Amino acid sequence: MASLDYAYRRLVNTLGPERVARSEFERMVYSHDFASLPKIALLQWKLYPDFVALPQTTEEVAALVKLSDESLLQITPRGGGTGWYGGSVPNRGGVMIDMRKMNHVVAFDPDGRKVTVEAGVTWKDLEDFVESKGFALPVVPVNAIGSTVGGAINSGSSGFGAPRGGSLRDAIAFLKVVLPDGTILKTASEADADGHLANLTPLFFGAEGTLGVITEATLRVVAKPEASKAVAYAFPSLAAAARFVTDIVDSAIVPYHAAVASRDHFIFERALRPDSPDPADIAIVAVQGSKEEVADQERSVDVLAAKESGAKLAPAVTDPLWRERYDNYSARRLSRGLVTSYNLVPVGRLPEAVETAIEIRDKLKLNGAVQAFLVDSTTAALVPYVLMDDTRPSGGTALGFVKRMGDAAFKMDGHSMGLGLFLVFNLRKMHGRATSFISSVKVVFDPRKKINGGKTLEVWTKYPWPGLRAIPPPGMAVGLEIAAVLRRAKPTRDRFVRAYEHGKEE
Amino acid sequence: MGLLRDWNYIEKAVQIPALSEVIREALIRALFVRDDRVLPRDLIGDLNRVPPVTVKVKDDGEVRKLVRVLNGQESTVSLGLSAEDYHYFRTQLGVGRTREFGAVMRPRILLTYDWIVPEQRGVQLDFNGYAGIEFADDAHRAIAQVGATWKQLYDGAPAKGHAVPFVPTVPLDFAIGDALYGDAPFASYRGEFASHVNALRTISPFGHRARLGFEEVANNGTAYDLLHATVPLAAEFFIPVAVALRLEAKPAAGKTLTYAFDDGPKLAVALDKLSRTTQMPAWAHVTDAVAAKILRPAVAAEAFTVQVSVGGTTSGLAPKEKAIDTAMAGFKSKSAEVSNPFDVPADAFRKTADTVVRSLFVGEVRVPAKAVGDFITKIRALGDQSAAKAGVYASLRATGTVSTFPFFAAPKDRSKVYDLSKGVRAIASRIPGAALTSRLAHLWEEEPNFMRRMAFLRSLKVTIDTAHVVQPLVSP
Repeated sequence: MASLDYAYRRLVNTLGPERVARSEFERMVYSHDFASLPKIALLQWKLYPDFVALPQTTEEVAALVKLSDESLLQITPRGGGTGWYGGSVPNRGGVMIDMRKMNHVVAFDPDGRKVTVEAGVTWKDLEDFVESKGFALPVVPVNAIGSTVGGAINSGSSGFGAPRGGSLRDAIAFLKVVLPDGTILKTASEADADGHLANLTPLFFGAEGTLGVITEATLRVVAKPEASKAVAYAFPSLAAAARFVTDIVDSAIVPYHAAVASRDHFIFERALRPDSPDPADIAIVAVQGSKEEVADQERSVDVLAAKESGAKLAPAVTDPLWRERYDNYSARRLSRGLVTSYNLVPVGRLPEAVETAIEIRDKLKLNGAVQAFLVDSTTAALVPYVLMDDTRPSGGTALGFVKRMGDAAFKMDGHSMGLGLFLVFNLRKMHGRATSFISSVKVVFDPRKKINGGKTLEVWTKYPWPGLRAIPPPGMAVGLEIAAVLRRAKPTRDRFVRAYEHGKEE
Repeated sequence: MGLLRDWNYIEKAVQIPALSEVIREALIRALFVRDDRVLPRDLIGDLNRVPPVTVKVKDDGEVRKLVRVLNGQESTVSLGLSAEDYHYFRTQLGVGRTREFGAVMRPRILLTYDWIVPEQRGVQLDFNGYAGIEFADDAHRAIAQVGATWKQLYDGAPAKGHAVPFVPTVPLDFAIGDALYGDAPFASYRGEFASHVNALRTISPFGHRARLGFEEVANNGTAYDLLHATVPLAAEFFIPVAVALRLEAKPAAGKTLTYAFDDGPKLAVALDKLSRTTQMPAWAHVTDAVAAKILRPAVAAEAFTVQVSVGGTTSGLAPKEKAIDTAMAGFKSKSAEVSNPFDVPADAFRKTADTVVRSLFVGEVRVPAKAVGDFITKIRALGDQSAAKAGVYASLRATGTVSTFPFFAAPKDRSKVYDLSKGVRAIASRIPGAALTSRLAHLWEEEPNFMRRMAFLRSLKVTIDTAHVVQPLVSP
């Protein structure tokens, strides 16, 4: 391996000194993603990258990837860092490629209804751009403000618009990717050829940046609706709100978005923003179409809500709720950290799923809330979160919640989403005997494991020595299960909201 | 569907010194039409060979056992055949010979043509008897064994409260598996067939049951989406035995709106406009006069007919219809009484399919909606030049792409198929955004990115199917 100083000089020669960072503080910023990690994790992984590089073009990314052949440093691509399971965090240091300087719209084709953007553009910026042209995005990921186009594709995201617009995978026309050998590949034909003409795009959807670095995406855009409306209802229980969502699916109504959030979510919101809605188990539904259609859908949804004793909220409450839809985790400000568990469950089992999430949260004596939204006619995303304080000894044990939630999702015939660095043990649970086929993809594209190695399929440690170089994935599961057990043994429940209120009084 | 085998064969063949002087296209033509003036006779003999053993599958356990025999994990003795059958099986398979043999799946119906380089030895799997469908009670999904026909699925769903959104653009009596190892053109307005597939139950090249995707939920965020990357070619990597399909709730009310257009430009404008609305019909099917005459012989055929299937709440249907009427402005007449090709009794569907299948199809051409009128005019001109009357079946996607299937009233002679395919490809290449996606088109395509993608798929196949059992690649 070349010395780090030599590697630094080569990086600077490629990008210039202003776009290569190696200071402690800058590296620290990149040592975690949205989830907080206990400091003990540093014993296992080198979470700080050796360098942070900020390329501005695909060719620069290709040059960085080629440089790793000389330096033998691992490459870790990163978008907005809004992931939850360490997919964009280094495990052996190396070069972190921060894509956020590649944040331009490259081309917009209103006739072909496509927009080509660099991977570092955030979804919110892209949505604003597309809407300014009179179009809309078929799907917008949940964390649209911070999430980048490349990041969401790498994590196989879903989000707003999915019930109507389909999977984000189908919204991608093709990608431009820098492969581990430094060459550039277009993943599908420029003509809309469905799965024909060798469409490799699905392999990169959810690949967590382990097959190559996505530098550009050409996405489909759809017509801006003539009218759209969001309506919200307060229900007597979260299960009733979830039943309302399943009733929407069974009634063949196809909303733009349908989601539920537990009362606790609004308690957190209220602690931070006094003007937020009164805490209740709330469902929000957005419909689109012509004005008559929107009115008709609203009437149908009203009837379904009434069946579950849902009380319609006034537009003065609903409209701000819908406007702030991309801001789901402001509760993080109440604690020092927040842990989210992202799972897909069958729509029919959503009422059971939300109750299970509350049960697990209570058993582990955590503060948290449950959110869920409709993905398609068979699938709902269950996204509960819990607050944690990683500066306290018990803080890290909150990570056990993710393990328990994932296990519950599998029991309900669903699955957890994302593998990254921490949840690799779920891979075999997800795919069973097909795991070896899935692993073959990495072998074909990146046999030397240069790009984001030691994640998704295996868990590398920072130690390169035989015997210590990787953790058997079930070992990680055991670790998180121990965290859950310790958490359960904790005598008291966290009280972040009370602490916050107390602080305000002082 | 043997695409990777065909592609691999051509790639290897053009590297052979004796054949490298034959230009690529001449070689493809010679292979396709079995031209013994260009290729050696023994090669032609090889190309004309078909798999000698056909197994009618009744149970996926049989397939597992067969795969284990084919990859050498088990002896043919374990097949439990009588002495006579055992001897026949071994002789026909060429057991003991050095050449690879594997398993291929026989489509129930092929819209276009079979593979260029057939399986040289081995077993052909006939799944027609493996045709069960299991509808879920608590969700809008079904698991269909690959031999089940689309019509069975489509007709069975409403009784269970479901609706099948995807239909075959060319209304033939396809099996569901034909979309995996044949060329069945299933799609809905909202998405391609793959977008309705939650999972595949397969038999791996090592004889294990392996599931790709998740039967109950979508496959998001679970590492590489091998399922959707391989759906049109899935049978080249695994042996698919059942498909978990995502259906929709049966709407309270439904209607088929039929619009007639008297010229192509008006049709193109209407289709483009419809796809620019927020309407989400189940499907939008297009026929020209020739196709309409075949589908509805008793009705006077209009120049172009567009049928749009809408569903929703009883009160919601009227606003949807109004919005679609507005988008389809320019139509000559409209009716809600004309039958559509899909909602007819099974016998009538099969009877029509028997007529439809007589035409010569060259494959799918994806055309931007705006250009569909121009495309159909050019296809007609090609038909006139070739003394083969041309027609078109098509369906519109929400993306604004029209999936067209040109057909010709001509005998299904391989030279004719080749020449017409070439003509259609030339037309598609002159229309921006259009592409022919047939197997021949894959072999003709030489764009560097495409070549690399195919090379990746070939490597992936060889890595997954190390036992060379599922449609093994053949080198000349």
